[in-house]
Amino acid sequence: MVATLLAQPATAARLSVVTLQQPRGAMPTSEELNALLQAVAASADRQAFAALFKHFAPRVKAFLMRSGTADALAEELVQETMITVWRKAGMFNPVQAAASTWIFTIARNLRVDHFRRQGQREVSNEGIDADDMPDTAPALDDQVRAGRRERGVRDAISHLSPEQAQILRLSFYEEHPHARIALELGIPLGTVKSRVRLAVNHLRRLLDGLEP
Amino acid sequence: MTNHHPDNDLLLGLAAGNLENGPSLLVSSHVEGCAHCQERTRQLETIGGAMLEALEPGVLATDSLSRTLAAIDTPTPPAYRPPTAAGLRAELPTGMKWPRALHGCTTTRWRWLGPGMRWSRVTLPYDAAANVFLLRIGAGKKLPMHSHSELELTQVLYGTFHDGRALFGPGDFDEADGNILHQPVVLASGECICLASVRGKVLFEGPIARWFGGLVGM
Repeated sequence: MVATLLAQPATAARLSVVTLQQPRGAMPTSEELNALLQAVAASADRQAFAALFKHFAPRVKAFLMRSGTADALAEELVQETMITVWRKAGMFNPVQAAASTWIFTIARNLRVDHFRRQGQREVSNEGIDADDMPDTAPALDDQVRAGRRERGVRDAISHLSPEQAQILRLSFYEEHPHARIALELGIPLGTVKSRVRLAVNHLRRLLDGLEP
Repeated sequence: MTNHHPDNDLLLGLAAGNLENGPSLLVSSHVEGCAHCQERTRQLETIGGAMLEALEPGVLATDSLSRTLAAIDTPTPPAYRPPTAAGLRAELPTGMKWPRALHGCTTTRWRWLGPGMRWSRVTLPYDAAANVFLLRIGAGKKLPMHSHSELELTQVLYGTFHDGRALFGPGDFDEADGNILHQPVVLASGECICLASVRGKVLFEGPIARWFGGLVGM
C-alpha cells in the first residue's frame, strides 16, 4: 500500500483511490498512517486526509479534554490541529517521528499557544505573536536513533509497572499532573517528583536495553 | 560541555505542554542548546504520541470534518514569523547571543543591584505573573547566601560560578528549592550572566540581601 501511495503523481489533486484496507474497527498501523501523511504532502490527497482525521481527530479531542480543556475549545483546537497537519504535511518526516508523535506535538503546541495568546491579551496589545515551542528537529545523524526510539517506546511502556505507566499517563493527560498523581497514588505531593523521576529513568533503562 | 541538565519531571512537563510559563522558558532555553536534552525531550514526546494512540477516542462535533475540510480550502495564512530579539534591551558581552527561547520577551536595561552586580527584569509577552530575570555578576563576586521557599531554576548563559555544591558553566541548568541554601560565587576569570525563574520566595540571610529580594519583586 505504501508503494501505491508513493506512486501517486504529485499533481493528483483528485481523490486518491487508495483507502485503508482494514477490517472495521482495526487500528491502522504506524506505516499506514505515515503513508497517509505522505500522500497528503505529495498530492494534497483529501481522502488520505479524511482517513487521518478519522483516526486522529477523536484522539486529539480526548487528549485535550482530559488535560482540562473545555469541549468547545477542544473542538476548535482539534480542527486547528488537523488544519495544521494538512498545511505542514510536507514537513513530516517519518524517519524522525511517528505520525502520532508529530500530531501530538502539533496539538500540544496549539494548546500552549492558545493559552499564551489568552495571557497576552491580558498583558498588553502590542501585537507580538505568541511564542512557539522550541524546535527540537533532530540533526540527520540523530535520525537513525530516532527510528529506534519510535519502535522502542511503545514496547518499553508495556514493560513498566502499572503504577509507573499511570504516572506517565497522568503526566501527559492532567492539567495539574503532580497534584493528580499524589491523589491517585495516595502519596504526599513532595514525593511525586522523585516518583516521576524513577518512572522516566526506568523507561530510559528499558529503552537502552538494560532491562528485559 | 554541559554537565547539569533539567530533571526528568521538568522535561516531561515541557514535552506534555503543562509546565508553567516561567519554568517552560527556562527549560526551553536549556534544551535548545543541549543535544542530550533534545534527545530526551523527543523520547518523551514519543511517549506522548504513544499515549495519544492509546486514548479512547473522544466525541467530535457532527460537522467537525466538514468544517475542517472547508478550512483547508481557504488560502494559507502568511507564514509564521518567529519572534525576534528586538525587545531584549539588556546589552550583552561581545560574542554572547540570546537564547531563542527569550525571543519575543522584553528585558529592561541592566540595573544596579550591588557592587559588581546587575539585574534585568524579563517580561514574557503572554504571562505578566511569571517571575523571570537575568543576573549579571562580576568576576569573583558572591551572591548573598540564600534559599528558596519553592523553586528556583537557573540557566547559565555566560561565564561560570560555583555554589559550594558544584561548578556551573555556560549551558548548565540548576534547580534549587528549600532544601538548598547556597551562595553562588562567580569565578575570578570573568563575569557571569544567568537567566532565572523563581516561584515562591527567595529567602535571603541578612538585611542587604533581603533588600535585593525586595528589588526583584520576590
